[in-house]
Amino acid sequence: MRQITYKIQRFDGTKSFTQEYSFAHEPGKTILWGLQKIKDTLDASLTFVAACRSAVCGACAVRVNGHAMLACEAALDDVVERFGDTLIIAPLGNFKVIRDLVVDWEPKIERMKEVKPWLIPQDEFTAASGCRQSPAEFKKINTQTNCILCGSCASECNKLSADGSDFYEPFIYSKAQKFVADSRDKGDWEHLKPAVERGLWKCVHCQECITKCPKHVEPAEDIAKLRQTSIRLGVTDNLGARHALAFVADLAESGRLNEVKMAMRTEGILRTAARLPFALRLLRKGKINPLHALTGNAPVKGIEQVRAIMKAVKEAEK
Amino acid sequence: MLKFDVLVIGSGGAGMRAALEAGRQGNLSVALMTKMFPTRSATGMAQGGINGVLRNADPNDSLEKHIFDTVKGSDFLGDQDAIEFFCNYAPECINEIDYFGVPFSRDAQGRIAQRNFGGQSSPRTCYSADKTGHVILHTMFEQCLKHGVKILKEMQLLDLVVDQGELQGIVALDIQSGEIMPVMAKAVVIATGGAGRMYWFRTTNPFTSTGDGMAAAFRAGIPLKDPEMVQFHPTGLASTGILMSEAVRGEGGYLINKDGERFMQRYAPEKMELATRDVVAKGIETEIKEGRGFGEGVNAYVLADLRHLGKETILEKLHGIRDLAISFEHVDPLSEPIPIRPTCHYSMGGIDVIDHTRCATAITGVFAAGEASCISIHGANRLGGNSLADIMVFGKFAGRGATECARQRQFGGQTKLAEAAKLWQDRFNQAVSRQEGVTVASLRNRLADIMWNNVGIFRNEADMLAAQKVIDGLIAEYQTCKVGDSSKLFNTAFVNYVEMGNLLTIAKAVVLGAIHRQESRGCHLRDDYTERDDRNFLQHTLVTLESGQYKLSYRPVVITKYQPAERRY
Ligand SMILES: Cc1cc2nc3c(=O)[nH]c(=O)nc-3n(C[C@H](O)[C@H](O)[C@H](O)COP(=O)(O)OP(=O)(O)OC[C@H]3O[C@@H](n4cnc5c(N)ncnc54)[C@H](O)[C@@H]3O)c2cc1C
Ligand code: FES
Repeated sequence: MRQITYKIQRFDGTKSFTQEYSFAHEPGKTILWGLQKIKDTLDASLTFVAACRSAVCGACAVRVNGHAMLACEAALDDVVERFGDTLIIAPLGNFKVIRDLVVDWEPKIERMKEVKPWLIPQDEFTAASGCRQSPAEFKKINTQTNCILCGSCASECNKLSADGSDFYEPFIYSKAQKFVADSRDKGDWEHLKPAVERGLWKCVHCQECITKCPKHVEPAEDIAKLRQTSIRLGVTDNLGARHALAFVADLAESGRLNEVKMAMRTEGILRTAARLPFALRLLRKGKINPLHALTGNAPVKGIEQVRAIMKAVKEAEK
Repeated sequence: MLKFDVLVIGSGGAGMRAALEAGRQGNLSVALMTKMFPTRSATGMAQGGINGVLRNADPNDSLEKHIFDTVKGSDFLGDQDAIEFFCNYAPECINEIDYFGVPFSRDAQGRIAQRNFGGQSSPRTCYSADKTGHVILHTMFEQCLKHGVKILKEMQLLDLVVDQGELQGIVALDIQSGEIMPVMAKAVVIATGGAGRMYWFRTTNPFTSTGDGMAAAFRAGIPLKDPEMVQFHPTGLASTGILMSEAVRGEGGYLINKDGERFMQRYAPEKMELATRDVVAKGIETEIKEGRGFGEGVNAYVLADLRHLGKETILEKLHGIRDLAISFEHVDPLSEPIPIRPTCHYSMGGIDVIDHTRCATAITGVFAAGEASCISIHGANRLGGNSLADIMVFGKFAGRGATECARQRQFGGQTKLAEAAKLWQDRFNQAVSRQEGVTVASLRNRLADIMWNNVGIFRNEADMLAAQKVIDGLIAEYQTCKVGDSSKLFNTAFVNYVEMGNLLTIAKAVVLGAIHRQESRGCHLRDDYTERDDRNFLQHTLVTLESGQYKLSYRPVVITKYQPAERRY
């Protein structure tokens, strides 16, 4: 009879170890079914959490062969087709593990609180009569409200894995964006400021958060939207914003990037000067033209079209 | 020893709403205790919506109509004074949570959108796409963060401690550390949700709906009211019990047995699949019982066929259902029919609340709200959309009631608390060290089997007496069952063991109430007493624990304006 094996990365509070469990395959089951089967029949000490078993409570996210997913939703048949009949199951990445597959949410929520993840209602509304919002305005927050706090995005975020000290868990940016985009909320800057101060421009654009979100929330998109809002609010005094603005300025000017000017616009003359050795190496390989620092690129052929496209994008954003 | 003026237990909508209200009253210490992370609650699973007379979709809707719909829906077992109170406050509680940030869907004028729902005479169900409960739950959580509500997460209520009719506090298990600790409290709000898991795989409820709060209150001497009133939904996914919304039938899906027959013609020749929930549920179960279903035993099912509706309708109007069927039953309704079977959905019965304006129980200091409580506004049958409204309205009033109570009380002594904690500590030590005995999973599966087969949709005396015997046997086995994990750290096996004890405690009350309610009313359908009997049973069942024995008594239903009439739709 066909056997499925889970190699589970366990932790008992002091030591980590891997334990293997095998059980008979049944068609049409989920990863969570397998975990429950092990707990019921093989080893009651295997520890994991789950509540809704229908992909809405966010409790059961784990890593299967390095990919975060909701155990209750992940179809066993699909997963074994992809990875084979032996699966490696581990707790979410970028979380402190409490026991086996159970992780600690406490520090995450402490961080989430910084973006004031609650509605700061406009003055015109009252508790007695509620709020008003158009269906179009409602639509702007309908994706972010899907977040079930499962932690899949945080688990797979490359920036967090590299260094979490200057970056939030992706879902926190989505929470912030949910309120920034909510027409009923008057506190844009209050939600946004902590994000600007912690990593808003540091996302490495790997898009893992979007790919791994089981509820189709798009944290990386929300980060982009928060950046736009920050620039609109005039918060341009930081590397990220200056870089973005320089990028746009270059495009408008010549239709291509001017690395030399870009660095100066982004980092300022002094800091750029500190990068001189790097610049010299680029120069030697013919990657940059020092004259461009003074003269700028010559406009590319078709610059008019480039400018027209940029104008159209700007119009569309309004 | 931990101590709080107000301690709320359970972080579903009812609990969080109560904690917020108590926290707002100022200078009291308030805490919210919950056995998982706060947002893993049944409340988040509600899709449909929340009822209140806002008159946005229908200017002719009225409180009167909402009251009458609820009374009639309850098959006249709801208390009419409480229902009136509930309907009156629902609209302002909904506006309030809009102000808290619940992202409701909107009508063209920017007001909260409302739609039709079963059993209602006007479109008064407010919604947020198909995730109303989810957004309410998360908004409540956000508000708790905003107001700095102290959250004791991953702590399980084990027992209430009461001395001479007065609350002293509770005993809880800190799941993370494994410590069993007494907690002093002047007032406690129990908001631990329903007990659908006594039917295990045949329920829409999450794993956490194990009646912990109901059982703790029961052990403390508070009666369980109408425990036999359990609502079944006709269309749950066959293998998991996950809810498939009414839309399956509403949009014109067929129900088919193994002979390929649209069997509803036998039970409701005119309305066919569009008959009421109880009629359809009963139809499906009869087919299975008489051997015209697919599969065997608890795994048997019939089919919901949507294919004739065409790709367009399915993709446009039933995409949520299609997603669920693909994810959890692994069939695509575009090309295959969906295996379905009725599933336990809601506990109308619960902790006996005797003053609905404060959600107070018979014990000073103990309050109850939400599905754990029985106020009773749902009587013998809850209307869709009335539960979310229930938890917002009564969560708030329970929070207020507990606050007022805490202001007037002093902390009690610690002796009884320490004793109770010691008892639980001993129980922990013994239970986790047992090497022999049946497993909790085995008890759980056998309880679900007998409850489903004998105390499910069909009920009659002989079956239920048999169930009673089986349950008593399971309770005996439970005393020596095996937990299988001796760790103190995050011991979910022990948590499940405690839950199992609670399920058995409640199941026994359900069966007792059901045996003695010799009539058919709302969701309680008996083949040996097929009619409603207002002469004898226009009464609430009360099951009380007295010196270890289950005692049965009755209390008349409160009737204000609406005399019982035949319930027809
Ligand atoms: C699938 C589904 C769909 C539904 N759809 C609708 C709908 O459309 N409209 C509607 O009005 N109603 C609906 N309902 C019903 C409604 O969602 C619930 O009745 C309601 O949300 C219950 O809320 P609650 O706050 O009482 O309890 P819950 O939300 O169940 O919360 C209980 C809380 O108590 C905690 N808890 C339990 N035991 C303990 C313990 N021992 N110690 C500490 N904490 C504990 C749990 O972890 C949880 O946080 C639906 C229910 C389900 C399951
Ligand atoms: S158990 Fe709730 S999301 Fe999986």
